[in-house]
Amino acid sequence: MSDTISNTPRFKRGEIVDVLIIGAGPSGSVAAKHLAQSGFSVVALEQGHFPDRSKYPGRNPEWELVTQKQWHPNPNYRDLPRDYPINTSESDVNPLMFSGVGGSATLYAAHWTPFLPSDFRVRTLDGVADDWPFTYEDLLPHLEAVEHEVGVSGLAGDPTYPLRSPPPTPALPIGKVGAKAAECLDKMGWHWWPGTNAIPSVAYNGLNACVRRGTCMSGCPEGAKSTTDITYWPHAIKAGARLVTGARVREITVNDSGLATGATYVDENGRERHQRAHSVIVCANGIGTPRLLLLSTSNRFPNGLANTSGMVGKRLMMHPFSAIMAVFEEDLESWRGPYGHNVESFQFYETDKSRGFVRGAKWGVMPSGGLLGATSFVGSKVFTSEKPSAGDMWGKNLHEMVERRFGHTMVWGIIGEDLPEESNRVLLDDTLVDSDGIPAPKLIYKVSENSERMLKFHEERVLEACKAGGAIETAIVHQMRDTGWHLLGTCRMGTDPGNSVLNEWGQAHDVPNLYVFDGSSFPTSGGVNPTATIMSVAMRQTQRMISERRNLKVA
Amino acid sequence: MNSLLTSEHRMIFAGIADFLIPNTEGMPSASEVGVQGPILDRVLSLRPDLSEAFFRGLAKSIGHSAADATNALNSGDHEAFGAISLVASAAYYMVPRVRELIGYPGQENRPDPDPDATPPYVANGMLQHVIDRGPIYKPTPK
Repeated sequence: MSDTISNTPRFKRGEIVDVLIIGAGPSGSVAAKHLAQSGFSVVALEQGHFPDRSKYPGRNPEWELVTQKQWHPNPNYRDLPRDYPINTSESDVNPLMFSGVGGSATLYAAHWTPFLPSDFRVRTLDGVADDWPFTYEDLLPHLEAVEHEVGVSGLAGDPTYPLRSPPPTPALPIGKVGAKAAECLDKMGWHWWPGTNAIPSVAYNGLNACVRRGTCMSGCPEGAKSTTDITYWPHAIKAGARLVTGARVREITVNDSGLATGATYVDENGRERHQRAHSVIVCANGIGTPRLLLLSTSNRFPNGLANTSGMVGKRLMMHPFSAIMAVFEEDLESWRGPYGHNVESFQFYETDKSRGFVRGAKWGVMPSGGLLGATSFVGSKVFTSEKPSAGDMWGKNLHEMVERRFGHTMVWGIIGEDLPEESNRVLLDDTLVDSDGIPAPKLIYKVSENSERMLKFHEERVLEACKAGGAIETAIVHQMRDTGWHLLGTCRMGTDPGNSVLNEWGQAHDVPNLYVFDGSSFPTSGGVNPTATIMSVAMRQTQRMISERRNLKVA
Repeated sequence: MNSLLTSEHRMIFAGIADFLIPNTEGMPSASEVGVQGPILDRVLSLRPDLSEAFFRGLAKSIGHSAADATNALNSGDHEAFGAISLVASAAYYMVPRVRELIGYPGQENRPDPDPDATPPYVANGMLQHVIDRGPIYKPTPK
């Protein structure tokens, strides 16, 4: 049932508040905590619930089995009550997400990889895409503040970034997998660094220290993987924020002056309710946010709220992704975690046009899971193949394969930058609806030629490194469908209201009391896991809101 | 117990499972560790989405040898083959005796003892090579 979690003794449902936040994931959590602590009255509406750590399957022998279904990152496949369907019939890639307090981070691998300086200046440096309306240096203080809230672990001094303050907890052990990967990269004279992860190595801000169980992507049973249900919401609620779970927003309402007045939502009993607010912040991810704006039509906004530019939903970016399995003679204990990255490499991250494509990719080396193989990682039978006879992959060969691979395998994840294209977009489906009858989103998305060339190049380089390190078997998983973890760009920031939705503060050009703080706001995608930058941007925008509180335009 | 599972189902499943996971290479067969017993019920209860394809595959296998049945499913009904093979392998690899033979303790709570200790890659100078090569990023243009 819908729950209101609140520290204030008398919560009158529907009373007007300073700020309504839609979505309790990473960006919404940052906003809720800091706004509440600064004295704003805050209500957050979240369609999912608080995750129940006792239900995470990682301690159980059936862990891999249920990760393939009930804990699968694809909501269309997982099909739990709080999931909404997404039409992906015209998309090369399936979007991955999770609804709940903490958002999709409940299932993330917690790789903490802030954008590099060049990620904010893609147009200037490489002549494609756009520049951000602020720089790496502008964002840095917010990144560092967020890292101290999140409990990031890592080692200072990575030459991937300009000199900056260290993460708050020591780097996690790189393990035998990481040590072997480092050896491979050393043989090539290529960059590597111990993985920086949103998984603390010591108890921190309500989190327990990582115990290397390695079941991160189906929820951390130890409460070590950093998610905002642990790190932010207790503080936000203590400061007076009210969190309503099981609340599915169907529309952001506006008045005749074109200002947002709050949101209409459906509680889990199917009752429609309205929450009034002076300002509204949308944090529903790169698909949920444009969907909601497109649903929120009015006389003033017939094409969707804040959509005078026509850009809401356009420029969907999902990182191209390939994985490489590499098997070694040595026992790597490769079922041990974390399933953050043990080692990362940015050797080929920056653009070199002689390669035949622009921008680049980050490599993260990870363990390979349990006996059912890496199926739980990429959501399908990765390391089997189409063979004419069952005996080819089974029978005696199964035992030989398990003996050769199990405990001896590492997985290299290649995350490449996706360039923005207006043709890649989120729209409302004509017929598909969710369980509350709300029109579902539809994706139209094609993997670009630049992405294909980039992935091929990176796959070849990873293979070179693995072979240099003595790999006895390798396999490439090239750009599978279930790789859309990172949903970005669909309500981009920009200086020109004619081709952007938001200004540099995440404020809608059309609707001065409407804000978007999540990854929808990104002008470019970087070639890295985006949570660090999503939370840093949310922090920057929130701090601006706080410092400008007297000047806020409100309904 | 799964009320849909008859003794015939278990027998057919055991035959196919033994074809997929035989006694060889020092490992027991699937039926030797009892995949057709209570653990089968457990696997199907954890993954009810596999049931339809699982039972369809068993029904198609009646009257055929395990080898013929398995190969026929592999070529003619991928979904059923996938369901039966996943159920068989999941059950097999959940059995403690199998895990012990392979040397897999499961996903354990076994942290490294001292997070503040100097990591080996620092102590042995390996990381210094990376540092010595200098910055690899492009700075913000002026």
